Amino acid sequence: MNAGTILPIMIGSILSGFTLASSAHHAATMFDRDQTVELSGEIVEFQWTSPHVWIQINVENESGEIVEWSVEGSVPNRLYRAGWRPTTFNPGDRVTIQGAPMRNGAPAALFIGARLADGSTLGRFEEPSN
Amino acid sequence: MTGSFRLAGVPLFRATACVLIAASVALLAPAPSLAQSGEGSALPDWSGVWQMTSNTVFDQATVDPPGGSSNAPGTREYPPYNEEWEAKYAANRERVRRGEFPDPITTCGTPAGFPRMMNLPAGVEFVVRPEQVWILTEDGPNIMRIYTDGRSHPAPEDRWPTFSGESVGHWEGDTLVFETISLKGDGDAILDRTGLVLSTEARIVTRLSRVEDELMEAQFTIEDSEALTAPWHVVKQYRKLESGTRMIEFACAENNRNPVDAAGRTLTLDRGGNVLDDL
Repeated sequence: MNAGTILPIMIGSILSGFTLASSAHHAATMFDRDQTVELSGEIVEFQWTSPHVWIQINVENESGEIVEWSVEGSVPNRLYRAGWRPTTFNPGDRVTIQGAPMRNGAPAALFIGARLADGSTLGRFEEPSN
Repeated sequence: MTGSFRLAGVPLFRATACVLIAASVALLAPAPSLAQSGEGSALPDWSGVWQMTSNTVFDQATVDPPGGSSNAPGTREYPPYNEEWEAKYAANRERVRRGEFPDPITTCGTPAGFPRMMNLPAGVEFVVRPEQVWILTEDGPNIMRIYTDGRSHPAPEDRWPTFSGESVGHWEGDTLVFETISLKGDGDAILDRTGLVLSTEARIVTRLSRVEDELMEAQFTIEDSEALTAPWHVVKQYRKLESGTRMIEFACAENNRNPVDAAGRTLTLDRGGNVLDDL
């Protein structure tokens, strides 16, 4: 399918000064909180689970290959109170997610914000400046 | 009132008696200030779901840098550690910096324990009964039982270090004062992810009270003959969440994609269970 340009884009430390929500489960030193990666693509699966929710999203890389990224979020108890629901992400939804990427370049990130299929935003989504 | 009444228990008396008692309570006292307890004592009502007001640094008063996160390598606090335990804390912070200081709860096998369970980010309940108080946390989950029926701590031969320890307490007006001993220490439990630990000799006196209508406060005085040179005072507060808020299940082993390896690294798994850290 013609998915358009859905490259993962490193957009630098646009969120400098912003502290990600603390995890109730594990340290997050595997993620580089000084960096932000933007992932535009199609939702594969949304795992609404403890101890963390996970958003699986297919993103096209620079070689035109589809790569599945794993985006780790907080936990259902606090996310529910922040307005999230098990249906916030659905397979097939086209969304843009911003996250702190893994330091080793693996296709995984810690959730920062998202723009959903209906155009609404979630978390600390930063609109591109250009 | 009758001593047989129990919070959330099965009514033990007939409906007519219930009506009479309810009417008496309504006439004699403002219901919200009474605990759901028997014995006619006016224990405080701490119902609802509460949430810690700060981040997960245990000692907000001494954290360096001010406002620092327990997840940011380099953050530290200043408990009155002796030289040996200050060195231990320094070593832990170095392990944090290297990503080799796994949070004990990351395995999803043990609770956070006390006092760390008072330093978690999600919902907390304080359930007051005449003979004991329960503190229940979503994260973990953790259960704390504080006996207020006049008993003493178990004899030394009848207790051993556990995550939530042994707690007995009493009421001073609307303040619950309780002492906790027999806690797990260094190696089993942490106070926060900066590397803060205590020994199994820790003895913690907690004063818990509702300082404002929407605000609970816990004042901890921590003594530890092995680790500290002086009592360590720490204050934490909890704000009441919107009326009707419900506690939500946290089942840690449901989908733990961050296991710990033999080197103490906290890993990240993809959807198929493959380790992403070694790519």
